[in-house]
Amino acid sequence: MIDKTSKKPLKRRDFIRKSLHAVAGLTIGGLAGILFSKSSSEEMVWQLDPNICIQCEKCSVNCVLPHSAVKCVHSYSVCGYCDLCSGYLQPGTKVRDTGAESQLCPSGALKRTYVEDPYFEYTIDEKLCVGCGKCVKGCNSFGNGSLYLQTRHDRCLNCNQCSIARRCPSQAWNRVPASRSYILKGDEKKKFLKS
Amino acid sequence: MRYKSRRSKLFIVALLFLFPLLGLSQVPERVPKPDFETDYIRPDFLTPTPRATALEYIDIGVLIVALFLATYFAHKQRSRQNIFLLMVFSLAYFGFYRKGCICPIGAIQNVTYALFNPAYAIPVFVIVFFVLPLVLALFYGRTFCAAVCPLGAIQDAVVLKPTNVPGGLAAVLSVLPYLYLGLAVLLAATGAGFIICQYDPFIGFFRFGADFNMVIFGLSMLLLGTVVARPYCRFLCPYGVLLNWMSRLSKRHVGITPDECNNCRLCEESCPFGAIKKPDEAAPPANREAEVKKLAFIIVLLPIVVFGSGWIGSRLEIPLSRLHANVSLAEEILLENSGQRTELTDETKAFRASGKPTEELFAEASAIQRQFKVGGWILGGFIGLILCLKLINLFMRRRQSEYYVDKGTCLSCGRCFSYCPYEQVRLGIITPKEAEKMGSKEVKIKQFRA
Amino acid sequence: MAKQAEDNRRKNRAKLWYNIAKRIAIVAAVLAGILSVLMIVNYLQTKSVDPMNSKAIAQLMTQLQENPSDTALKEQIRALDLLARKAYFIYQWQIRTGSYLLFAFVLILLLALKYMSSLQPRLPDLSKSPEPDEARENKFISRKYILFGGLGLFILAFILGIISQTDLKNIGIVKTKGGQGAAVFPSIEEIRNNWPGFRGPEGIGVAYHTDVPPEWDGPSGQNILWKTPIPHPGYNSPIIWAKRIFLSGADRRTQIVYCVDADSGEILWQKELNDIPGSPERRPNVTEDTGYAAPTMTTDGQRIFVLFATGDIACLDFEGNRIWAKNLGMPDNHYGHGSSLITYRDLVIIQFDQNTGGRLLALKTLTGDLAYDQPRDVEISWASPILVNTGSRTELILNSNPFVMSHDPQTGQELWRVRCMQGEIGPSPAYAAGMVYVVNDYARLAAIRLGETPDVVWEYIDDLSEVSSPLATNDLVIMAASYGAVTCFDKKTGERLWIQDFSEGFYSSPVLVGDSVYLMDVSGVIYVFKAEREFRLISQHELGERAVTIPAFMHNRIYIRGEKNLFCIGD
Repeated sequence: MIDKTSKKPLKRRDFIRKSLHAVAGLTIGGLAGILFSKSSSEEMVWQLDPNICIQCEKCSVNCVLPHSAVKCVHSYSVCGYCDLCSGYLQPGTKVRDTGAESQLCPSGALKRTYVEDPYFEYTIDEKLCVGCGKCVKGCNSFGNGSLYLQTRHDRCLNCNQCSIARRCPSQAWNRVPASRSYILKGDEKKKFLKS
Repeated sequence: MRYKSRRSKLFIVALLFLFPLLGLSQVPERVPKPDFETDYIRPDFLTPTPRATALEYIDIGVLIVALFLATYFAHKQRSRQNIFLLMVFSLAYFGFYRKGCICPIGAIQNVTYALFNPAYAIPVFVIVFFVLPLVLALFYGRTFCAAVCPLGAIQDAVVLKPTNVPGGLAAVLSVLPYLYLGLAVLLAATGAGFIICQYDPFIGFFRFGADFNMVIFGLSMLLLGTVVARPYCRFLCPYGVLLNWMSRLSKRHVGITPDECNNCRLCEESCPFGAIKKPDEAAPPANREAEVKKLAFIIVLLPIVVFGSGWIGSRLEIPLSRLHANVSLAEEILLENSGQRTELTDETKAFRASGKPTEELFAEASAIQRQFKVGGWILGGFIGLILCLKLINLFMRRRQSEYYVDKGTCLSCGRCFSYCPYEQVRLGIITPKEAEKMGSKEVKIKQFRA
Repeated sequence: MAKQAEDNRRKNRAKLWYNIAKRIAIVAAVLAGILSVLMIVNYLQTKSVDPMNSKAIAQLMTQLQENPSDTALKEQIRALDLLARKAYFIYQWQIRTGSYLLFAFVLILLLALKYMSSLQPRLPDLSKSPEPDEARENKFISRKYILFGGLGLFILAFILGIISQTDLKNIGIVKTKGGQGAAVFPSIEEIRNNWPGFRGPEGIGVAYHTDVPPEWDGPSGQNILWKTPIPHPGYNSPIIWAKRIFLSGADRRTQIVYCVDADSGEILWQKELNDIPGSPERRPNVTEDTGYAAPTMTTDGQRIFVLFATGDIACLDFEGNRIWAKNLGMPDNHYGHGSSLITYRDLVIIQFDQNTGGRLLALKTLTGDLAYDQPRDVEISWASPILVNTGSRTELILNSNPFVMSHDPQTGQELWRVRCMQGEIGPSPAYAAGMVYVVNDYARLAAIRLGETPDVVWEYIDDLSEVSSPLATNDLVIMAASYGAVTCFDKKTGERLWIQDFSEGFYSSPVLVGDSVYLMDVSGVIYVFKAEREFRLISQHELGERAVTIPAFMHNRIYIRGEKNLFCIGD
C-alpha cells in the first residue's frame, strides 16, 4: 500500500533487504557452526541389536529391498555344534535329517554339515536367507543363541530412515557409526571391535 | 524315568515363561562349546563393510560441481538445454545411482535431530548437503531445484502438458509445505521419526522397489506431474520453503530477459510453475480506504491469530505424540494392564521381555507428550503466522511495470529464456529491430526449447 | 521462394519426426501398461499365497507330526517346499526384471512425449488484450482461499485435538489419589487397625481389635449379623480395610474378586479377571483342597492385590477398577499355588516357591513393575511370608524346605538362613519378641532366636502341625495339628505345658485376641481358650459350615469365610 514515489522508501527497502540477507547468511553460518561442532566425519549406518531382537519376522518383509538386507549370521564361537539343533530342525521332529520336512528354515538357507561325532556345523547361504529369524528364535529358545540377525552392509542401502527400524516392535534398531557397523556376539565381537 | 523327562520338559516350559519376566536379554550358554578332536577350523565370520566414507566426499564433490554448473548454466549461459542435461545427470547420479539418499530435503530432519538429540553425531556430508544449496540460493536463487535435486528432476522429466493451477488454489496449496516442514521438524526433534523420508514418493523408483502404497503414491504424483508441473516441489517440499526464503533475498537472480522487458507478453504462459508475474496495477485500487482498514485489522489481529493457532496446535499433543513409538507403546501397555485389550502385540511382548519398568516407560511417554505440547504451540503459532503473512502479502501492491519472476517460487529452470525476444537477439537469431516488433499479433519464435 | 521451400521442408521434417515420436510413445505406453498390470497381478497373487509361509505345507506338517513315518507325506512336503521356494525366488526375479523393463519402457515413452511437447511452445493468446484488473482480482480470490483454507485447517486440527483421548494422562491421577506418588503406604498403626492380609496385620495371627462378641451360634443364627453366599470357591481368607471386605474366588474358567460391605454384607462389586496378558491358556492342574484361589489377598489401604493359581496377579482399586495385572509365569506347583500376598511399604511381596525355579518376588504396588526377583534355592512350599520388626529392622521371614530364611523386604537381600525344615511345608512362621517359630509335619517345631547368628534354640518333634500356622504370644507357643491335637509350649524353654485333643482337625490357624486364643476346626467350630500356661477353655461356638480360613477380627465383629458363605458375627 506504500504509494510514495520518492526515492526514500526504495532506499529503505533496499536496506531492509540487505540486512535480511545478512541475517539469513548469519543464521545459516551459525547453524552450520553448531552442527559441525556436533558432527562426526563418519557415516552413520543402521544395525539391529541381537540382544534386543525378538525375532518377529518383520525384518524380512519391511526392508525397501525386495530381498531384505537383514540376514541371519552365525557366531561359530558361540555355537554348540549340536546334533539336535533347535535352530535347524522343526520343533517336534524326531528324525535329524536334512529333508525339507525337518528343516525350520523356510528357504533352505541354513546348511548342516557333519564335522565329527557328535558335532555338526551350520552355515548360512545368504543368497537364500530371507532374514525371517525363525532359526534365530529356535536357537535362542533352546541353544546358545549363536544364530542371530544382522543387516549386511554390502546389501543395505542405508536409507536415511530405515523402514525396518521404523516398524521394529522391540526398538532394536539404531544408527551406529560405520566403523562399528555390526553388533556381534562371542569371539567375533572381540575380533571385530579390535580391527 | 518318565517322570524325570516330564520334569525336564516342564523345566523348559517354565524357562520359556520366565524369560519375559526375568528380562534376560542375553541367552545363557546352555550347550557347552565343543572340543574338536579333528583339526576342524571354524569358518571365517564375514563382516562386509558399508560404503566407504571416502565415497561420501565424492558425493560432496559431485554436489559442488553440479551446483556450480547449474548456476553457471542458468546465469551465464542462460541455456535451458544444458540445465536439462545436468538435470538428467543429477537424476542418474543422486537418484538412481545414490538411490536418493541422502538428499537435502531429508537432511532437514537429520539437522533437527542432531540439534535436539545430543547422542546423534551428524555426519559432515549431511551438513554439507543441507547447507550448500541454501547458501547458493541466498546468492543466486534456487538453481539447486532446477538441475541438482533428484526429486525435482524426476518430476521435471515428466512435465508434458502443464496447466496453470488457479491462483486461489495455488495460494492455499502453497501453505502445505510450511505445514509439512513444521511437522517434519517437530517429529524429528522429538525423535518420533523422519516423515519426509517415510513419505518420499519417488525414492521407490530410485531403488526399484518400495512399499506397494508408496509406489501408488509416487505413480500418482508422476501422473499428476504430467499436467501440473512439479507438484511435490511446489505444494509439498519442505526444503523448498527454506530455499524460497533464501531465494527471495538473493542478490543475483535469473531474469526472464537478459536485457530489458518490453512487455511483449510472449513469456506470459511459459512458466509451468506460475512463477512469472504480470506487471502489477499501476493505479491504486478504487476502494483503497477499505483495503487499508482490512490490512490494519489483520495486522492487529496477527498476535491473536498466532496465539490462538498455537493453542490449537498444543491441543494436538495427543494425536501427534502417538506417532512416537514410545507413546503408542505406553498406551498399548496401559490398555493391556487395565484389561481393555487381551491380545499382546509384538511391541508389548518385546517391551515386557525387556524387563524395563512400565513406570519408566510411562514417565518417558509423558515427557514426550509434554515435548509435543510445547512443539504443538510452536507449530501452531508458526502456521498461524505464515497464514497471516501470506494474507498481508496479498494486500501489498508492487509497483512493477514489467514482467518479472517471483524470486521465491522461481526454480531457475530456464524455460522462459527462449521466449524473450531479447534473448533471441542475445543469441544472434534475430535482430533488435525484429525483436521490437515481436509481441504483436504476429508471433514468431525461431529457436525454441522447453 | 527458396526460403519458403526451405521452411516447408523443415516443417515437413518436423512433422515426420513428430509422428515417429508419437508412434514410439504409443507402443511404449501400451507395453508399459501391460507390464504394470502384470506386475500388480503378480504382487497381489504372491501376497495372497506367500510362498514363504505356505498354508498347504503347514497343514501337511501337522499331518506328518501325527504319522512321523509316512514317507509319501514326506515326499509330498519336500516337493511342495521346493515349489514354494522356487516360486519365491522367481517372484523376486520377476519383480527385479519387471521393474527394470518397466523403467526402460517408461523412459522411452517419456523421451518421445518430451520431444513432442518440446515442439509446442506455450504462448499466450495475444489476440486478447490483458485485463488490467486481473492481478488484483487474483489477489482478492487468493485472500479468500487462504482465509477459508486456514480456517478449515484450524477447525480440523481443533476437532482432532478434542476427540483424541489418552489414558496416559490419567496415570498421574491414579498416582496422586490420596497423596504423593509411590510414597503412599499405610503406617503400622493403620495396618494394625485393619485386617489387611493372611493371618491379620503382619501375618502373625495377632488381632488388635480385642472386643469380640461373647456368644454366637451359626445354626440358630444367634449374633450372626449377616451371611452372604460367595458364588466362586476359594480357600483364601477375607481381608478388611475400613468398611470393606475383599476376597477372591476362582474355578478353572473364572477368576473373580469380591468386595463386600462390612456392615450390610452386600456384595458391593465383583470383578472378573480373566483376560490378563500372558495368562496361560491351559489352566494348571490343582488339587481339590487347594483350588485356584488359595492365596489370601492383601491391601495397602489404597489398592488391593490378588493372586491366583494361574500366576495371574492383579491390582484393583477399592472401586474394583483394574490398575494393573500381569502373569508371573504359571506356577510349577503340583497342588496349586498357596502362598498369600503381603505388602511392605510400596511393595507387594510374593513367596513364589515352585518345583523348579522358586523365587521371591516384589512388585511395585503402584505399577506392578518388578522391584526385585530373588532366586530361591529351596524346595517347593505353600507357606506365606510374615513381616516382623525385630527392633533394629524389619525382616521378611519365610518358612521353606530346608531353610528358614529372612530377607530385607525393601531390597530382597537375604539376611540370614537356618537349615531346620523338611517336607512339603504348609504352616507359615510365627514370631514374638525376638523369636521365630516354624513347624512342619514330619519335621519339627523349631524355635529360632534372632541375633548375630540366628540359631535353633529348642525343637519338638511330636504332634506337629501340617497346615495350621503356629501362634506365638509373649510367653507361649501354640500349634494345632490337622488331626485335632493342640499343644502349648513355654516360649523360651520349649517345655510342653499342655496338650489337648479335639474331635476335629485344624487347618485354620490360632489367632490371639487380647489374652484369648481363637481357633477354628475344619467343621467350623471356634474354640476360645485363654493364652495361659494351663489349658482353660472359655467357650466354643458353632458356625454351621465347614471352614478352613482364618477368621478376621475387627470392630467388635468376626468375619469368617465358610465353604459357601461369608459370615459376620457381632451383636
